[in-house]
Amino acid sequence: MKTKQIEAGFTEPDMTPMIDIVFQLLTFFMIAINFENTKADERVKLPTDMLAKPPETKLDNELVLNVGFNRRPDGSHNGNAVIFYNGDPVPLEGILTPLQQEATVFKAKSADQSDKALDDVAVIIRADGEVPTGMVQELIEKCQEAKFTKFSLKAIQKEK
Amino acid sequence: MPKLTKTGGLSKVDIPMAPMIDIVFQLLIFFMLNLKIVAPEGNFNVNMPLGAPKAADPDKPITPDIKVKLQADANGNLVQLLLGDNPLGNDDRAFERLNSEILKLIGRPGAAMAQDVEVEIDADYDLRYEYIIKAVSKCTGRLDSRGNVIRYVEKVKFAPPKKRAPA
Repeated sequence: MKTKQIEAGFTEPDMTPMIDIVFQLLTFFMIAINFENTKADERVKLPTDMLAKPPETKLDNELVLNVGFNRRPDGSHNGNAVIFYNGDPVPLEGILTPLQQEATVFKAKSADQSDKALDDVAVIIRADGEVPTGMVQELIEKCQEAKFTKFSLKAIQKEK
Repeated sequence: MPKLTKTGGLSKVDIPMAPMIDIVFQLLIFFMLNLKIVAPEGNFNVNMPLGAPKAADPDKPITPDIKVKLQADANGNLVQLLLGDNPLGNDDRAFERLNSEILKLIGRPGAAMAQDVEVEIDADYDLRYEYIIKAVSKCTGRLDSRGNVIRYVEKVKFAPPKKRAPA
């Protein structure tokens, strides 16, 4: 009896379209990734405003201070606002020493190493919308005690 | 790439794609996991110089500060927004009124008056910070129909902080 011989064949799948798509995805994620915003604390819910446009020029020296609450998973909080310094909650009373240390570092980095170096340092205050205003003002006072003079308040840009 | 064999025919040399695909997938996963979608953030500059204010230049006319006062209840809600002693209300329309009153005071955007004058924000301790951002924004300017910022007042400062209201 004659049997028909079927030749065992191996067909390679065409990988080109998949590689094209993967490279496009890779390019997208590489462009969209933002390593700069690491100083922003996700626990802080910034207020929104239409006039809050990202600055066109960025200062070389800036000190970012996050003020917010230790929120529970449902978003509620105990009402005690703290400052997140290097990710750790610090009460307002304990922030002066770290601020003075930061000021020393900024001065050491500058050419003249005097208090004038701090005029070029912007203190960026990222405060939660529910934080009492008095606390933000007291934080500014503490910064002034540490000889910082430039301040910026952050808000999220609201679309029309 | 085709190459000539001993017999003179063409044969296909396959470049191994598997290692490249492995690496590309690893890179893709790395970037996907590290991607944080953050909304664009903007700045409002606050003018808080150290020490006593400098002596005024005698040749320059003295422009008094525009005082914006925000009164709050114990929960931090806005009770009254005042421009000088003039009450403007406590809702969104109050902030719109503040914006138009500031424009009336400076005359027109970009005028010399707008560059010299300073707004002093005087808020109660417990007032929620979001109201401050609203007030600063309304004093600073507005957006035109094309989304460009029209600047009103450049300099904003805070009055000395008040004591916390007793609980």
